Amino acid sequence: MARQPDDKAAAKFSSEDSALVRELALLLDETSLTEIEIERAGLRLRVARNISVAATMPVPVAAAAAPALVAAPAVAVPAAGPDLSKHPGAVTSPMVGTAYWSPEPGAKPFVEVGSKVAVGQTLLIIEAMKTMNQIPSTRAGTVTQILVEDGQPVEFGEPLVIIE
Amino acid sequence: MFDKILIANRGEIALRILRACKELGIATVAVHSTADADAMHVRLSDESVCIGPPPSKDSYLNIPALLAACEITGADAVHPGYGFLSENARFAEILSEHNLQFIGPKAEHIRLMGDKIEAKKTAKRLGIPVVPGSDGAVGPSDDAMAIAKKIGFPVLVKAAAGGGGRGMKVAQTEADLQIALSTAANEAKSAFGDASVYLEKYLQKPRHIEIQILGDGRGGAIHLGERDCSLQRRHQKVWEEGPSPVLAAAARAKIGETCAKAMREMKYLGVGTIEFLFEDGEFYFIEMNTRIQVEHPVTESITDIDLVLEQIRIAAGGELPAKQSEVQIIGHAIECRINAENPQTFRPSPGRISQYHPPGGLGVRIDSAVYQGYQIPPYYDSLVGKLIVHGKTRAECLMRLRRALDEMVVDGIETTLPLFRDLVRQDDIINGDYHIHWLEQYLAGKVEPAGK
Repeated sequence: MARQPDDKAAAKFSSEDSALVRELALLLDETSLTEIEIERAGLRLRVARNISVAATMPVPVAAAAAPALVAAPAVAVPAAGPDLSKHPGAVTSPMVGTAYWSPEPGAKPFVEVGSKVAVGQTLLIIEAMKTMNQIPSTRAGTVTQILVEDGQPVEFGEPLVIIE
Repeated sequence: MFDKILIANRGEIALRILRACKELGIATVAVHSTADADAMHVRLSDESVCIGPPPSKDSYLNIPALLAACEITGADAVHPGYGFLSENARFAEILSEHNLQFIGPKAEHIRLMGDKIEAKKTAKRLGIPVVPGSDGAVGPSDDAMAIAKKIGFPVLVKAAAGGGGRGMKVAQTEADLQIALSTAANEAKSAFGDASVYLEKYLQKPRHIEIQILGDGRGGAIHLGERDCSLQRRHQKVWEEGPSPVLAAAARAKIGETCAKAMREMKYLGVGTIEFLFEDGEFYFIEMNTRIQVEHPVTESITDIDLVLEQIRIAAGGELPAKQSEVQIIGHAIECRINAENPQTFRPSPGRISQYHPPGGLGVRIDSAVYQGYQIPPYYDSLVGKLIVHGKTRAECLMRLRRALDEMVVDGIETTLPLFRDLVRQDDIINGDYHIHWLEQYLAGKVEPAGK
């Protein structure tokens, strides 16, 4: 997986932002919501029940307008899991860009855990410089793991899904 | 100043760029092929992005992948290093179109100096001395003999579409000219598809002396003295030193100012090197390189100016680090390019470095990305590292270099260290008495080895 800055994101996380997180966490407790997400210039914040607060990277100014996120798929993405690029069922990224699981924001994703796929079937879109590239599956079988989040930057060779 | 620089290169220069970024507090993005996932600069950078499989065309030369990497990391500038895309004007333009700063000269200057005939015309126009020649192609209707006589024998017949030392024939006297012309034209036709040839004065035993310049892009420029890179094998520099053993201060000031003045007129931005052949006290322009060069540490050692740092500062709109009058050349520096090659046959020797000990001490610098246990990939150049030694005088420098070479250990692969241990003991080298053919003559056994 592309190594990301650890300290950099935290450094940009101001005290205002942490007060906001606290408020959102309180709101979660007070209401029956399981997840709250806020997006404003330079920051996208998601607070979900039973999962630790995720501070995402500041949205780069040059990128395409980020699609409004729908509720993330039920499978939790492991923070730093084992290296799955050598897994026999792994389909890895053929390019650098941003991964999107749906053809457009709000639409049904191309595949989900449990989907049966054929070789050549579109699994996801990787966007680079405003160009949407449909990524075909190199394997046939059933999707058992989805390894990257919607909107996550991916590098060449990064495992995207496990198909068994 | 930039927030985040993407280093579009690999090996020792990528590590070099990373060091300058870290000193300036700029975040670093290392892009790499799958073969370079364990490279030292990748390990040390803030972020890394794998951009492709080993072949350069799919990775380090892959412009879309580089742009995508800039996009996903939010880099605002790209340092191209040397080689790869560093002198690709189109790449510089594409970056600009994407609001990314290319750390290097303006695209128009890269393009201008990339065309060797245009470069020579430009040099001439700016008052830089050039090799006397035919001013263009010599066709069947031209009076080749008259042109050659005007230049003065011996003359070199060169293929217009050639380069890198290929497609050249010497005509020592008038009697040789016709044959040289026809064979050169025939060979050029079959090798390059273009029979056009031109004439240049042939220099018998020139030295290669180059001038380092720095421009602020607004009409200000300074020179940082010369490097003597005469010791070459197959047109590849092997040993570089500064100052040149044969150049006096007055000559340095004169050629330096000529180059700096030309850069001021061009409003050149960034670092650049103007290369000359030097014979009988005369300079002859060969070409200009519009990038940081491999041997830049030689100049850094004798001027105490960090060229990569200054590249970044200047690209961000900064000022030149010094006025010309403040630039001082202190002491002497020699750089040895150590390759993973057999020291006699020069056959490449990629593989795992089992033992690595770089020399240290006052005035000893190693620019290398290798480490103990590192596996040199077979896909790229064979440079293991550069050993740069500085001394108060050339004699002290040579003494220190001899010690540093003897101390250095690189086991597990073959390297050209034994070659440098021999060279540093040769009379001609110790006396600074060599020229651009010297090393090949030495390797062919035509120069007597000095004892050991």
